[in-house]
Order: sequence, then structure tokens, then C-alpha cells
Amino acid sequence: MNCSDCVERLDSYLDRELNEEEVDQVRKHLTDCPPCEHVFQLRSDLKRLVKICCDEAAPASGLRDKVRNILT
Amino acid sequence: MPMAEETSLFAEEAIQHLDTLYRGALRLTRDSAQAEDLVQDTYVRALRYQASYRPGTNMKAWLFAIMRNLFWDRFKGGRPEDLSLDGDDEHSLYDTLEDDEAGPEDLALDQIAHEEVIRAVDTLPEIHREVVLLVDVEGFSYKDTADVIGVPIGTVMSRLHRARHQLQQSLHDYAEEAGIVPGGAA
Repeated sequence: MNCSDCVERLDSYLDRELNEEEVDQVRKHLTDCPPCEHVFQLRSDLKRLVKICCDEAAPASGLRDKVRNILT
Repeated sequence: MPMAEETSLFAEEAIQHLDTLYRGALRLTRDSAQAEDLVQDTYVRALRYQASYRPGTNMKAWLFAIMRNLFWDRFKGGRPEDLSLDGDDEHSLYDTLEDDEAGPEDLALDQIAHEEVIRAVDTLPEIHREVVLLVDVEGFSYKDTADVIGVPIGTVMSRLHRARHQLQQSLHDYAEEAGIVPGGAA
């Protein structure tokens, strides 16, 4: 696998959408290629950061009661 | 018409997704009051169409699909898949973004405030924002995401790629302005 193939698969690798064989290929390339590993690390950090930040919001306490009323 | 017991089980399961739906609604609408309205309307519609939900399948995805469709119908005047925002035009746009040019790699993410990350997500176009929301925040697979938004998996992948590129660029611009990373050549 060359760098172009690796970078092309990074999103899918990050999102656990590759099969076992493809995962092994990407992982091996990342181990041998610091520049690609750097790109992967950045994308991985970004994904994690987006999740953390967007997970922080919580609804006002009254919403649960309103929804409960809708559902009963 | 579902029996009362079925409705009660349905309600019990559905309400477990309230916080998740609210977070999604907030990112879609970018307004807490509109988000709460959207969530309530999602539950109204879910209850009305509960017969179309098959117990044991992915209720979170089913609810998200309802909410996402409501959002597009109400706030955007129609769904992107019906407004020719999809298809070849979109792909040709993505083709101009080469992976190798995927943007600044000197980003110091640990120094960026959470508010800036949210701002960057909120400034993504809706068709990109909803994919980030489903894949990155809610952990949906590409297939479930494709089912929720009614597009092929390839479109999910290209939107996601584009969205991440844009987020990276946006946060890099902010980091430069804030002096967190050195600015480019003048």
C-alpha cells in the first residue's frame, strides 16, 4: 500500500468500515510511515473532539415531561 | 391500531433516545428552543407512525430519520435528496478535493476551545453537518447513515470527507488567528 492508497482509506479506517484485510494493510502502512501516521492521528483527534464537544448539550429539564405527555 | 401495551413499550424505548435526539436537533437547528420543538414534533410523528417501526430494529436510527426529515421539510423547504443537491454535481465537487491536499496538518487540537469546535460544526452546510452528527457524534455506520438520510453509502463517504476537511480548515484558521499555530506567509 502506498501513501495515496492509505490516506484514501483513512476515513473508513477511522470509522471501522474496512474489512480485516484492509485494516491490516492500513495499520502496517501507518506503522512504517510517520507522515501518514501523523495525518491519521490528526483525523482521529478531530473525530474524538467533535464527539466530546457535541455530546455536552443537554435538554432543559421540562422537555422530558413534555415528551412523556406526548407518548402517553 | 397498536394495543395500549405495545404503545407503552414503544414509548418506554423511544424516550430513552431523548437526550440523543435533542443533541442532534440542537446541531441541526443551532437553537435550543427550535431544537426542543423539533424533538417534540419528532415524538408526535413517531407515535403517529409507530406501526411502521419494527420492534428489535434500530429505533435510534428510525427516530433520527423522522427528525431529520422534519428538519429539512420545516426549516429548509424540502429534503436535499428532492432538491437536486445530490448526485453527479456533488461528486464532481468532491473530486476537486484531493486527499493529499486535505489541508493543514499542523493543528494543535488540544489547545482549541470546545466552543470553537461547536462553532466549526455549526458552520458546516446542513448536508455535511448531519453526516458528521450521525457518524462522528452518534457512531452510526455508513450504511445506517445512508438509510437515515436516504442516499447511497458513497455519498455519505464523500460528504463526510468534505465535512472533515472543512472542519480541519476552519479550526486551523481559528488557531492561526488566535496565535495557537503560526500564520501562513503574508
